[in-house]
Amino acid sequence: MDTSSPSAFVNGALLRRYIGQKVRTVVQVIGSDMGSVVGKSTDDLQIFVKGSPPASTTTYLEVIGIAESENSIRAETWTNFGISFDALNYNELCKLANGEFKHLFI
Amino acid sequence: MFSNSQFEPNSAFSGGGFMSSQPSQAYETSSSTAKSRDFQGLVPVTVKQIAEASQSGGEKSGIVINGIELTNVSLVGLVCDKDVSKVTEVRFTLDDGTGRIDCKRWVNESFDAREMESVLDGAYVRLNGHLKTFQGKKQLLVFSVRPITDFNEVTFHYIECIHFYSKNSESQLGQQVGDVTQSHMVNSSVTTNQTTTLNPVMSSQNNDGNGRKNLDDMILDYLKQPACTERQQGIHLDEIAQQLKIPKNKLEGVIQSLEGDGLIYSTIDEYHFKHVEL
Repeated sequence: MDTSSPSAFVNGALLRRYIGQKVRTVVQVIGSDMGSVVGKSTDDLQIFVKGSPPASTTTYLEVIGIAESENSIRAETWTNFGISFDALNYNELCKLANGEFKHLFI
Repeated sequence: MFSNSQFEPNSAFSGGGFMSSQPSQAYETSSSTAKSRDFQGLVPVTVKQIAEASQSGGEKSGIVINGIELTNVSLVGLVCDKDVSKVTEVRFTLDDGTGRIDCKRWVNESFDAREMESVLDGAYVRLNGHLKTFQGKKQLLVFSVRPITDFNEVTFHYIECIHFYSKNSESQLGQQVGDVTQSHMVNSSVTTNQTTTLNPVMSSQNNDGNGRKNLDDMILDYLKQPACTERQQGIHLDEIAQQLKIPKNKLEGVIQSLEGDGLIYSTIDEYHFKHVEL
């Protein structure tokens, strides 16, 4: 059991709260190259994800890593979330997980 | 003492045939300590909830989350540190973003082995297992691990955790609120009783009482007047009401109680009264 390094659920707006800390988010991939991915957050903000993305990415991509600034994440873990993912639901989950039910998560 | 619903699911997931004597002991104790609580099925939780769960009575007692004793839990997370060095079991760690928990899957049948083959490090899985404390550490004895294919299930799992948590807190809160409203209702019924029964008593002692006492005295004083005592047939109610400016309906009540107390008596009919001279 280890809860010392949780990763907070964030959307674009919540990212700034966790600069320097571990976060997780799902982005819609807009563009990618060797060392980064540009994505659209679930609340329609642009997020730059640095690191080494998987060779092929699907429409939705989950990244877990350190929030470097209010719009960039250095990702350690990348997971393709497929082509049909409900971004709205995820966005609501981010709000709940940082609000009333934060204590269940971080 | 052991209801079927408590005992059977436990023994069904007792981790296979190898440890049959040990787990059944554990379950006996845990279910006996859990007898007062409702049995919960598969409960969606986060690792952080498990980490913060309390365990009242040592290793063999149940783990309590949010006031509910849990046996079987459902989690979603990333598999890491998968260890297949032992033939009879597969160990791995599940990271759900809120924390990490050690998991163990007994490999008894070829089905178990096949299922675990598809579970790879870095993969998202839905995992169902039995929550247990072993050597002071909480761990999951997993009986089902399935790779996630639709990632809406990830979102869904956490929402389900929130839902289950809030539903339970609500029902607990609801019970408390229910208790409170009940006690409120009891209180209010008491207070309404007080207002209906006690208040008149109190008011008869305080307001109306004084008022009635005043009225009593006023009426007695009026009847004691020589001009009244001289009249053989007594004084008519209307006259008293007129003279003392008391509403007639109110006067009737006071007259009745004075008559009941033996301080006045009716004379020629039930409307004429005289003062009892002592």
